[in-house]
This record gives sequence, C-alpha cells and structure tokens, in this order.
Amino acid sequence: MTGMPHDLRARLVVDYQPVTPIAPPLARLLWLLPLAGLTLVAATLAFDLRGDAARLGLVGTWGASSLQAVIGLALAGAALREAVPGREWNRTAIAWWLVLPLLWIVLVTLGSWETSPTLVRRGWWFVGVLCFGSSLASGLPVVALASVLAARAYPTRPAVAGALLGLGAGLVADAGWRLFCHFSEPAHVLSAHVGAVLMSMLIGAWLATVICRARRRS
Amino acid sequence: MDERLRQLMREYQEGRFDAFDEIYAVLAPMLRRYLLAQCRDAARADDLVQETFLQIHRARHTFNPEFPLTPWAMAIARHVWLMHRRTASRRPWESDDVTGMEMAVRAEAASFADRADVRRALRKVAAPRRDAVIQHHLLGFSFKEIAERAGIAETAAKLRSSRGVAQLRTLLRGKGRA
Repeated sequence: MTGMPHDLRARLVVDYQPVTPIAPPLARLLWLLPLAGLTLVAATLAFDLRGDAARLGLVGTWGASSLQAVIGLALAGAALREAVPGREWNRTAIAWWLVLPLLWIVLVTLGSWETSPTLVRRGWWFVGVLCFGSSLASGLPVVALASVLAARAYPTRPAVAGALLGLGAGLVADAGWRLFCHFSEPAHVLSAHVGAVLMSMLIGAWLATVICRARRRS
Repeated sequence: MDERLRQLMREYQEGRFDAFDEIYAVLAPMLRRYLLAQCRDAARADDLVQETFLQIHRARHTFNPEFPLTPWAMAIARHVWLMHRRTASRRPWESDDVTGMEMAVRAEAASFADRADVRRALRKVAAPRRDAVIQHHLLGFSFKEIAERAGIAETAAKLRSSRGVAQLRTLLRGKGRA
C-alpha cells in the first residue's frame, strides 16, 4: 500500500512541472483593491454625492461607506482563505461572516434614516429597480474577478467561497451606491439595496461553482 | 513528521518528483483508513486514495509550507469522498447488475472467456472501476464523457478503467487456472 502504484505515477508524470505556491489570502486580496476602490467611488464620480450629505456629515457618508467597503474586502479575504484546502471556516464562523455584514447594513440604514429621513414619494418600484440593478451591476466585476482568484486556489466548497465573495463584492458595491442614493427609507434600502447584495451573494456562489466545475473537467 | 512532510511537499512543488513517493508512503495508509471508514469498501477506498493523490497533485500549488500538510491532504480526501458520494447519488444507472447487459464481443474474442465468466468477474470489480470499464469498453463513451458524467478528472476516469480492466484480467486468469 505504501508504494505508489505505477499507473498513478504514470498519470502524475504526464503533466508534472514545478509550481509556485499560491500567495496567502491577504496578498491575493491586493488584486481586488483597485477594482474595489473604483467601485466605491464610481457612482459618486458618475453622478454626485447624495443630496443630504451635509446632514449626514463625513462620518455618515464616506465614513460609513468606507467601513462597509472594508467589511466587504474582509469577506473577500475570508473567501480566499476558504478556497485553500485545510483552511476552511467552520459553520459558526461562516454564519458570523454572513450575518454580521447584513447587521451592519441594517445599522447604517437605521442611522441614516434617523439622521436624514427621506422617503421615496414617487415611482417607488422604479427607483427600487434602478437601485437594485445599478448596485448589482457595479458589483459584478468584483464578483467575477474574486471568483477567478478563488478558483485559482482549490476551493473544496466553491459555493461557500463564492457566496462569501459575492457578499463581499455586494457590500463594496452598495457602499458606493449609498453615497449617491439619498433615499434613506428603510423599506427601500432593505429591499432594493440589500436585495442587490443578496443577489450578488447568490451570483458569487453560482459563478464560483461553475468555474470550479469547469476547471476540474479541463 | 509533519515538518518532514512539509519539506517534501516544498520539494515536490519545486520540481523534485521523487519527493511524492515519500509523501505517498506516509500519507496513503492514513488517507486509506479515513476513506475506508467513510465508504466501507476496500476496493472503493483504494480508488478514492488514488483519486485523492491525483487531486493533491493538481492542488499542489495551494499548499503553503508554513502550515501542516496533513490537514491540507485530509481536506482534499474529504472533498474527494463528498464528490464521490454526490456523484454516486446522481448516477443514472447502477452497474451492479450486469447480468442483463448485452455484451457485444467480436467472434474471436469469445474464445478467450465465457460470457457468463466475464459477467461474474465484472460483478466482482469495484463499482467505480466497473462503471468506467462498462462505459468505455462496452458502451463506447470516451474518457472525457465518462469523466463528465462522474464529475471527476479525465485522468481519473482513465485510471479507473485501466485498474478495472487489470482487475478483470486477474479475475479471469484465476478462473482459467481453476
């Protein structure tokens, strides 16, 4: 049993070549930084800072969004670690990784509503769909890049790694989009904005699974 | 021991192929025990050990020498087992019952072994290997197609088939001597 079988050896020899060990998750996270930074400021650059920025102050606008983006990047880092065999998170840790960021969004939403209550008075659904679609679309490049980074490792649970990546990318995208969208009505934020974050999480899980399956078949 | 394994894996990553022999010698019994405890089938456990080492080889770039090798290898073995279990639950047909299967063989091949003997021997071959042999040699699927159906690497499909044929040959040779 302890000697390697000849047929296994023959299979290994065929494509054997030296490899460079993959960089640690934090180093791989650096690849995401430029795109994440761009996603954070894209809506503000393309349109403008939200109308009630003066009322919310620097902490309520850039401060809260920057912290949310950092949480998103931390999630992406957690996902890149999850993608390495033997370094997977346990169930409790995954639950915390999924729940805490969403609690953060709820906290920011309630804080913004408390400081600057702004209702969506006309076209509730139209505004909702616009925010949902735009926030989701702006996060997709980060999801795609992050999924590729995760698949370059060897995720034994691609759906979990992808979900963490998708959630992280969704948080970064939403952090940027909330700097433009001045509607602080909780029903709008928790449906359109959080909906986009959750959809990003589902897309991340699906994309990572598809990429990993394709890589294993190649 | 793990320090030595880490060193060997580092050497394997750097291009010393022989280092894998030592890694295999140390890890194979432990991985086999784990996989045997999961599947309770010795032949299947052997196949899964082979598959695990193929995956270890493919994932060798993800090993960080700062961390122990054993948990890394065990995580891959667990993944291989879960993939196998998932594939088995999705398998559209079970090849356990090969009695009803029409075996189209050339006339000259009939002289080598009796069909009933082949069927009996085939039934003794471990299920994953038997699946690969039947799908490739009887049903005409390519290894790529077999790999896709089973959710495994093409090399693993080839490995299963060749090991299945070898086992079949051994069984039939034994029958011939009896």
